[in-house]
Amino acid sequence: METDTHIRADARAEAGPRSLGCSLRHFACEQNLLSRPDGSASFLQGDTSVLAGVYGPAEVKVSKEIFNKATLEVLLRPKIGLPGVAEKSRERLIRNTCEAVVLGALHPRTSITVVLQVVSDAGSLLACCLNAACMALVDAGVPMRALFCGVTCALDSDGNLVLDPTLKQEKEARAVLTFALDSVEQKLLMSTTKGLYSNAELQQCLAAAQAASQHVFRFYRESLQRRYSKS
Amino acid sequence: MKETPLSNCERRFLLRAIEEKKRLDGRQTYDYRSIRISFGTDYGCCIVELGKTRVLGQVSCELVSPKLNRATEGILFFNLELSQMAAPAFEPSRQSDLLVKLNRLLERCLRNSKCIDTESLCVVAGEKVWQIRVDLHLLNHDGNIIDAASIAAIVALCHFRRPDVSVQGNEVTLYTPEERDPVPLSIHHMPICASFAFFQQGTYLLVDPNEREERVMDGLLVIAMNKHREICTIQSSGGIMLLKDQVLRCTKIAGVKVAEITELIQKALENDRKVRKEGGKCGFAESIANQRITAFKMEKAPIDTSDVGEKAEEIIAEAEPPSEVVCNPVLRTPGTAQVGEGIENSWGDLGDSEKEDEDGDSDEAAVLDGLKMDTGIEISNHGNQDAPIVLSDSEEEEMIILDPDKYMKKVRTQTISTKQAAVPSKRPTKKRKKKRAVD
Amino acid sequence: MAEAAAVGAESLSSGQARAARAVLGQLVLPGEELLLPEHEDAEGPGGAGERPLRLSPAPRSRVRVVCGPGLRRCGERLLVTKCGRLRHKEPGGGGGGVYWVDSQQKRYVPVKGDHVIGIVTAKSGDTFKVDVGGSEPASLSYLAFEGATKRNRPNVQVGDLIYGQFVVANKDMEPEMVCIDSCGRANGMGVIGQDGLLFKVTLGLIRKLLAPDCEIIQEVGKLYPLEIVFGMNGRIWVKAKTIQQTLILANIFEACEHMTTEQRRQIFSRLAES
Repeated sequence: METDTHIRADARAEAGPRSLGCSLRHFACEQNLLSRPDGSASFLQGDTSVLAGVYGPAEVKVSKEIFNKATLEVLLRPKIGLPGVAEKSRERLIRNTCEAVVLGALHPRTSITVVLQVVSDAGSLLACCLNAACMALVDAGVPMRALFCGVTCALDSDGNLVLDPTLKQEKEARAVLTFALDSVEQKLLMSTTKGLYSNAELQQCLAAAQAASQHVFRFYRESLQRRYSKS
Repeated sequence: MKETPLSNCERRFLLRAIEEKKRLDGRQTYDYRSIRISFGTDYGCCIVELGKTRVLGQVSCELVSPKLNRATEGILFFNLELSQMAAPAFEPSRQSDLLVKLNRLLERCLRNSKCIDTESLCVVAGEKVWQIRVDLHLLNHDGNIIDAASIAAIVALCHFRRPDVSVQGNEVTLYTPEERDPVPLSIHHMPICASFAFFQQGTYLLVDPNEREERVMDGLLVIAMNKHREICTIQSSGGIMLLKDQVLRCTKIAGVKVAEITELIQKALENDRKVRKEGGKCGFAESIANQRITAFKMEKAPIDTSDVGEKAEEIIAEAEPPSEVVCNPVLRTPGTAQVGEGIENSWGDLGDSEKEDEDGDSDEAAVLDGLKMDTGIEISNHGNQDAPIVLSDSEEEEMIILDPDKYMKKVRTQTISTKQAAVPSKRPTKKRKKKRAVD
Repeated sequence: MAEAAAVGAESLSSGQARAARAVLGQLVLPGEELLLPEHEDAEGPGGAGERPLRLSPAPRSRVRVVCGPGLRRCGERLLVTKCGRLRHKEPGGGGGGVYWVDSQQKRYVPVKGDHVIGIVTAKSGDTFKVDVGGSEPASLSYLAFEGATKRNRPNVQVGDLIYGQFVVANKDMEPEMVCIDSCGRANGMGVIGQDGLLFKVTLGLIRKLLAPDCEIIQEVGKLYPLEIVFGMNGRIWVKAKTIQQTLILANIFEACEHMTTEQRRQIFSRLAES
């Protein structure tokens, strides 16, 4: 993998010393594939795959009822074993991202539940979860302020930037940064990072994520365009 | 969430249709819904679709010490999860009767039938054996969970490859897939469940009931069988009384259905093996039907990141340090100090509080809180946010535990900034970013 | 289509608002901003992109525009909240008409005036609780039936199907249904008969079927004599002479969702032959 990145670095040497020709893996998305949830989507980024189901606005337990907005819940289910601390922490990150864009105030005293099932993890799992959640929310027709997408960047030991890293690239990376960006102004909705990086590298990753988000949103649009092509 | 109730009219219609040998989806009495098997890129991962019912299966393995009374046998573990994704009525983390019943039945079907050679899973007798874990997740519930789950379990087991091991003396060496090809499990036979729903006290029978048919049925008979027509387990539930002839007839039908399904499974496995051998594309991305309008694919997309360096520099250059972020700490009494004026009351300002869930906030808040606890300096977060709500959450604890180095570093910079009233360069950009996000 | 996608991607990337007139019948996504035509005319085509239109009565254009499902007003801007095709209905007399987003969702949210099919889940005191597929059950007074009095209660059992209309439906209150119109007549509403089949489709299909010139209904009517009830909450109750015919009809409606007009025509002609 190391050699591979070097080759790519050489190929794009004239573009800039640190930024190489980054790419997103191939994307695929299928909507409305489950009959029971109100909205569902399966999102694939390379070999990473996440299935999302959304219920809402549905009835809410009295103990969880919020009088002026919808109760948003996110459940993340790992493929092997029971959900642990890592899943809980990711659930929270995804929930906070969704909360920022879902117009919960339009459906007070209801629940909006997003259930995510990891189907296969081959890197950039959190970003894929975010993308699956967004497509499922769109499919369910939950009112939203904007769309959102997740982009993961990895910085390897030489400071090279890799977008949408695979599991191997993530493991070898010095730092892995995941951002959630909104579709209107590409503003940052959520960020979570692991590892060491400099201030400048953070800004670079963010700028790269914003560039990548354009592609993701174009993918969203084309995918939805296809879906509504017969109506 | 509650299940949508079944109306009297649906119940009546279903029963009348069954009397006339008609089914909602146009099937005949003994027809199965279409079965579709797709494999993931990992070994031992599959999705089985039985009509609209969908089950995800994944097999994993681990080296553990064996049970005391069975020193030379590997361990098999089955776990079926009814995710809320499958139906609104399935509550997370609750062991319902249905779940217990299904898990028990799966164990009887697959473990007690001895279809997996557990002795071949032994590495060092009495010390190390393989534990094979089968996780099954119900993704969509449209009836007949058990048949779909049993097919998914056996398909995943057949597809699975465990890492190769070698034993030299007392040393166990585990080989990665690159070093040595992983080995498949040794499977004696493939038990598959077939379900029969009975209506009107056993007068009418349907194979592979869907969700609505399950709701109006009186009783259910599940027969697990392999293609050699050996019955592995049989279970009748719902409290109906069946005649000997009825059970015999069901086993005959089960024999036929199981043979068909086994053939399908073998074909699917063979297909996947061929694709992998030829180095072709495998995985779920390939199994998405291209012609469906709800599906869409995009090839690998190059992204021009040549200008990120400049952009970053621009942002950093623009971010001038704010003139006065930290004011001099006020010492009220020895051992305490106060910085800032405290936050404004944000009651009734609900629109704002909704937006302020950004990670950056809570991250910073956690640091501030940590500092407060450590040094006893009272610091309030100035700005337009209602931090106390964020502070009281448990996330900050996770943050501290997960990233000890980062936390330490941040605390250090924080203390410096409070003492010297000077601002490190990291702070202003963060502030800026947050503001942009909140706007 | 490709052109539309390109335009969409462009406007999405620059975060620029698009003119509502220009995207009529096209796909809009949550977060997009729309500009109303009145403003475009006033400002000229060049200025349209720069300034969003005021929805509030501006000195230059005083046009009332109704902002339907899937759109929301945020200050002076018109924003999309749901994914779907933008539709517009010309006003009867003056004004800007109604704009809304036609989406394909499954979950129903009660709307005042909607006719729905509900399932009675409980009797509590003077009211019935009716499941309509929303976030909470609707209440239905036993007096809200034609000819019902305190003595003469309607015969409604738990599990019965009710065809009724919402008189109270908003986000903060429990929805309330009635089975009479403003004159106290049943007008087709009330308990639906014990036979027939109930099934679910998406809300978009129901709207399509209930459109005044829907060809599906006309075609289906030619096939068999039938009784049919459409609920805006995505439920259809259908009854034909035989079970077989009812099943065929139910399957036709379910399949309609994913077919183009041409495919539907083929199906109907094939069915008419057999």
